[in-house]
Amino acid sequence: MKVKVNGIELELAPGTSAIDAVFAAGSDVPYFCSHEYMSPVGSCRMCLAKIGAPRKDRATGNWVLDEETGEPQIFWFPNPMATCTTAIMEGMVIETEAEEAVKAQRGMVEMTLINHPLDCPICDKGGACELQDRAYEYGEGISRFEFDKRHQEKHHQLSELITLDRERCIHCKRCIRFFEEVPGDEVLDFIERGGHTYIATVEEGLESNFTGNITDLCPVGALLDRTSRFKGRNWEYEHTITSSLDDASGSAIVLDSRTGRLERIKAELNTQVNKLWIDDSTRFGYEYVNSSERIKTPLIRKGDNLEAASWQEVSEFIADKLAKLAQKEAAIVLRADSTLEEGYAAKNLAKILETGQIDHYPRQLASVIPNNSASLNDLASSDAIFVIGDVSQNVPIVDLRIKDALKGVAPPEMFEHGVPIADLRLKERMIRKKEILTVAAPYNVDLMRHAGQAHIYEANSEEAIFKALTKIANGEDSSVAAMSNEQAEALVKRLNEANNAIIIYDGFSLASPAAAIAARNFANAVGAKEIILGQMANSYGLEAIQVLPSHERYGYAEIMQGSAKALIISELNPANNSQYAQNLKELELLVVHSIFENETTALADVVLPAKSGYEKQGTIVNLEGRLLEVNAAPIDAGQAQDFEFLAASIIAALGKEGKEDLASLAHKAIRKQFGVDSKKLDPEGDLKPLKPRANNKAKLHIQSTNIGNALIVPTMLRLEYIDKNPHLLAERGAAKLTMNSIDADANGLKNAEIVSLDVAGIKRSFSVQIKDSVPAGLWLIPALPEQAIGLLELDRASLKKELEPA
Amino acid sequence: MMDTKIQAFFADKQDLLSEILERYPDYGQRSAVMPLLRAVQDAERHVSELRIKEIADILGISATAVKGVMSFYSTYHEQPVGKYHIQICSTLSCSLAGSDEMYDYLANELDLVNGETDKDGQFSLQKVECLGSCTTAPVLQINDDYYENVGKKRCKHLVDSMRENKLEKPWRERKGDHEGAEKAKPLQKTALKGVS
Amino acid sequence: MDNITSRHDPRFEVTMYKYMGVENSHKLDFYEQHGGYQTAKKALTTMQSVDIVNEVKASGLRGRGGAGFPMGVKWSFMPPVDGRQRFIVCNADESEPGSTKDRFVLEDDPHQLIEGMIIAGYAIQATLGVIYIRGEYHLGYTRLYDAINEARAKGYLGKNVLASNFDFDLILHRGAGAYICGEESALMNSFEGYRANPRLKPPFPAQAGVYGFPTSVNNVTSIASGVHIIAKGADWFKSMGTQDSSGFHHVQISGPAVRRGVYEVPMGITYREIIFDLAGGVTEPVKAFIPGGSSCPMFPFTDEYLDLTMEYGVVAKAGSMMGTGGIILIPEDKCIVDALANVVHFYAHESCGKCTPCREGVSTWLPKMYAKLLAGLGESGDLELLEDVSHNIRGRSFCPLADACIMPVQASIKHFRHEYEYIIEHGKSMYAKKSRWQE
Ligand SMILES: Cc1cc2nc3c(=O)[nH]c(=O)nc-3n(C[C@H](O)[C@H](O)[C@H](O)COP(=O)(O)O)c2cc1C
Ligand code: SF4
Ligand code: SF4
Ligand code: FES
Ligand code: FES
Repeated sequence: MKVKVNGIELELAPGTSAIDAVFAAGSDVPYFCSHEYMSPVGSCRMCLAKIGAPRKDRATGNWVLDEETGEPQIFWFPNPMATCTTAIMEGMVIETEAEEAVKAQRGMVEMTLINHPLDCPICDKGGACELQDRAYEYGEGISRFEFDKRHQEKHHQLSELITLDRERCIHCKRCIRFFEEVPGDEVLDFIERGGHTYIATVEEGLESNFTGNITDLCPVGALLDRTSRFKGRNWEYEHTITSSLDDASGSAIVLDSRTGRLERIKAELNTQVNKLWIDDSTRFGYEYVNSSERIKTPLIRKGDNLEAASWQEVSEFIADKLAKLAQKEAAIVLRADSTLEEGYAAKNLAKILETGQIDHYPRQLASVIPNNSASLNDLASSDAIFVIGDVSQNVPIVDLRIKDALKGVAPPEMFEHGVPIADLRLKERMIRKKEILTVAAPYNVDLMRHAGQAHIYEANSEEAIFKALTKIANGEDSSVAAMSNEQAEALVKRLNEANNAIIIYDGFSLASPAAAIAARNFANAVGAKEIILGQMANSYGLEAIQVLPSHERYGYAEIMQGSAKALIISELNPANNSQYAQNLKELELLVVHSIFENETTALADVVLPAKSGYEKQGTIVNLEGRLLEVNAAPIDAGQAQDFEFLAASIIAALGKEGKEDLASLAHKAIRKQFGVDSKKLDPEGDLKPLKPRANNKAKLHIQSTNIGNALIVPTMLRLEYIDKNPHLLAERGAAKLTMNSIDADANGLKNAEIVSLDVAGIKRSFSVQIKDSVPAGLWLIPALPEQAIGLLELDRASLKKELEPA
Repeated sequence: MMDTKIQAFFADKQDLLSEILERYPDYGQRSAVMPLLRAVQDAERHVSELRIKEIADILGISATAVKGVMSFYSTYHEQPVGKYHIQICSTLSCSLAGSDEMYDYLANELDLVNGETDKDGQFSLQKVECLGSCTTAPVLQINDDYYENVGKKRCKHLVDSMRENKLEKPWRERKGDHEGAEKAKPLQKTALKGVS
Repeated sequence: MDNITSRHDPRFEVTMYKYMGVENSHKLDFYEQHGGYQTAKKALTTMQSVDIVNEVKASGLRGRGGAGFPMGVKWSFMPPVDGRQRFIVCNADESEPGSTKDRFVLEDDPHQLIEGMIIAGYAIQATLGVIYIRGEYHLGYTRLYDAINEARAKGYLGKNVLASNFDFDLILHRGAGAYICGEESALMNSFEGYRANPRLKPPFPAQAGVYGFPTSVNNVTSIASGVHIIAKGADWFKSMGTQDSSGFHHVQISGPAVRRGVYEVPMGITYREIIFDLAGGVTEPVKAFIPGGSSCPMFPFTDEYLDLTMEYGVVAKAGSMMGTGGIILIPEDKCIVDALANVVHFYAHESCGKCTPCREGVSTWLPKMYAKLLAGLGESGDLELLEDVSHNIRGRSFCPLADACIMPVQASIKHFRHEYEYIIEHGKSMYAKKSRWQE
């Protein structure tokens, strides 16, 4: 379609909005209410332009021509039009700089400002405020409004995480639309009407996993992140774009740091992964990095004490000890969010130490690499989705991308200026195609609210469910637990007939290799692609590059049970398990790479300060098989280093340095394995899905525990850091032990009561949460990194009440 | 979760509840939010936060959404209104018929200001916008009923009868068409100068 | 002052308002005795739905809710029947100051509206109808509620209406005090249980209306006119009025008229005839009249305007709108700034708050400007500022409500600029406040 913007002709696809035409032409028009990825609503009335179009003669079907020029005559709309809600038409002429357009824009800036306080100098948004910028560019500079401005609450705490300044709000409705359109949680709304309209919630806190996004999208300083309130000014921040290590999505984020501290995290655009959204754990779960309790120097054991030392000193100490070991006596364990570079470093170190005792954790028995993998954008355009597990807690972004699919609007085509500013296919309160989504889980999961069909099945019956569904897909008779025959058949039929069917599963299915194979077989049978939710940011990558034991005798659990004489462990705290602690004490050498002191550092011979995920440089592979860059922000972390540095120091101390350093080895290895240059990754990552590792036949015989009275469930919160993330802790509270009221009554427990419990060797404390949607007899326990998801048998007698609820 | 101390409003009114819900199709149950608010207010003269939550739970939507809807309208009240909720239309036609003076009179007589309820919960006084009865201005709406053509005498009478708890239903202002086509008077001259 | 609220032009036979004010006219018995539901029977059993649409189209009936869009044409915009639910919605939110014509039908002749809804529903093949009645109309609501139940019990509503194989039922929904709910898309949001902000168009209601289904929204007297058009034919309807504006309409006269009230009149009647013949003239000198509800720009009370015929085109050409037919007379010695402050207050109170020009301009800035003028604090430049801000609002808002406020403001400045200038210069109104409260 041909349109003309300020004299520039361009060809654009039908359905394009006039505002995108304006930007596509390299022109500009101010806007406040439109926002990428949300419905255009036309409420700020800022984006006005003079618009006209030619007309066809009804009778002849020919263009009505201008008598003088012989060109199609342009019929101008009588009033300036909002470009964000106007679709282009053949021959449309858009003028943003026409006198009446400019006058209209000026008038609108003036009206937008009449009730806006002039507190830019003390506003956290100052310097990064759309209103400030636009008022400067398009305003008159003076206000003719001589009356008192509207006085409203300036510090209204919407939740522990977000504060609202009602005077600053310009009523663009982005925040409200976000909640309704993106996660589908209507927790915020306008109250009153007309000039009295204000934003509020009457929920207790904002019940959603994605609340922080409203602080990014608020065009003014009305909604602010409480973790960063009154800290820096926007121009003082160093902005580091990176991929989050919070979960397996690898969501794009910006780290705002200043004077060596990380002061805020914001979402960054990745059109392939998280679009512009991140969950609250990804955003607010960073405060721990600034904690004064961080280990900042290497420590070495002197008797009962750990004393500061240099990297050089401790590396030599470690090398000395390691040199005395025989083959296969040393073990190395990384946490599953370590980078590929750290993984390769660990492998190289293991090679030098001639040991196959190497693993990453948390890791389950089955592979997290799908056979026929779907990208997140595939997911967003899927027409049949079967989820088994708890997506929303596992990888919240996957939950959002499923909700994209429910709208039935495929990811938009990009313009040179980026994501369409006004995607006219998006509407407020779109009717969601719930019927395309089926969710099954061992308990009531959040996504079930949005599903056409939801089934709660008995924990650990994933294998049986997938097998039964496969039978149905193959035309055999079968019945599926928790589903009626019609439901099961309808599900299979929908998946079979869909163009873009996707099956999503998580740790519940991965806990048993047989279940994972059954899942894969079912996906094959119905021609569906798969998304597997690994438990951590680089579960996929570390498996892909085989940071894995050479033999099943050498896995994480076996190492902790005493298969090694020396252990180098990064970012895990196995000694929180009393049984493991016993074994760890016996080790000849325990090297702990950690950010904080914990039960394991207490047993260590050497403690090495670790970098957080915001401080290291490297590469991860997200759950799609996408290689993403991890970048370091300038945060003062003392002498903390990543595992690559650690391995290199030990190798150097062992005198085993090769020709190439670890970094270039990793760089080469990544190129070899994934076919990409890790130094030149696409800013949105390079999608290079692999084939899954062959299933170790022997493992198929390992039965995961079939019995159990508790389920380790995924949690979007990083519980290992929650105590040091004060805002997130205040909002989300301590870890929850969730159970049915029958169980609560049987144990005399009340809601919010604090209890402690021995969870398979780990003593943990919880706040009790009673939910009758949880099957009776099953207790839900949110996972720690040292605990893979799945069923376990709990000694309920170990339950102790610590505190009555307030 | 509902506060168990105060009984849920619809707990003993299941018939009313299902009658309201059944008005709307299954896919449109949210439409019931306004009639549910109305039902509560009719009984309790306002809708409390607790009732908002109850309605939200009935409809499976957030309390915020219910509050957003409720606060949009001018006739749902967060605070209880008096037994006699006196609403004075203040829009143009009524104002041209003396509603401003009527307001002053009532405010003075009842010692209330716009939006206020007396401490006994007997009277509330509120200025409202056009009630759709402009041809019989000025209009008072007392609770649900319209009192039209309220002149000084009638206004005083209404106040007296409310004080005595003896407010009568309004009489019908309407007269049939048969009353009057014939009575139409011939064309008159306007009083404006320069007009023939 | 007489209280006559239902009148008609003696030269014409009154139809829709025939039984207004008659005892028991709201009961089914009464309605049936006076030929009630016979037209629906005729429509459903002897006519195809397309015939009804065509008949209404041929009648030239234009919507009586304000915008004057031809009802038959609107109906013909409904997409082809595809098995999806369809809705007919009756807009009974009547809130435009000066308007009170729908209320009479709702209170005194609810069955007429129900019959109209059955016919309209059949015409557009909608099996569900919604009547959205403004919250304050308690009597209308109860009468309509009872009437619907009566009609349902008698088989006029429900499955297989009048043995025609057509299913039709009504949902009566009550508003709660918000003028904007009269705007059709805001009405649908309100009905669906959302905040009543207007929706973006397109999609228009015919494409995606109530609950996203094809919908037609029509005013009470538009729908009720349908009954008479089908009963007596398009030609009968066209025999009244003019080429541009056919049929009859209801004018509502308020302000200082001798006989204020609602009159059923043929289109094409002059304002002079309405005000002087029907309403019996004025009780005090009048300087202006608003022709169709407070959002319509006022006309000076001069021959030029009094002799305008009541036709959509004519009134538009003269610079105002037919609107709802609510005529408000403004007395000579009513300060125009005061009168407009009242009008502005109304729209300020009713702004939904969605868009900037209306929320900040209409709902916030204008009332403050008027308050300043009325307080005698006006300064030179204030009138120009008012004009410029009005200019910046007009035609820029999301829905027509802001314009509904600005147009009368601009008209008042156009015709009575001297009164604004006076109040600014002298710090007081040109006319002292005067008591008009009757004994
Ligand atoms: C602010 C606003 C208020 C309105 N109020 C009413 C109303 O109270 N009653 C009505 O019938 N139409 C009202 N309308 C017009 C409706 O949007 C719609 O055009 C009308 O109901 C269609 O019916 P009709 O074609 O029969 O007139 C209003 C429009 C606007 C913009
Ligand atoms: S709080 Fe911010 S995002 Fe929300 S409506 Fe106000 S200005 Fe817009
Ligand atoms: S003009 Fe804007 S604020 Fe006013 S009622 Fe319409 S949409 Fe709402
Ligand atoms: S109206 Fe807000 S961006 Fe167009
Ligand atoms: S102005 Fe009072 S009822 Fe219309």
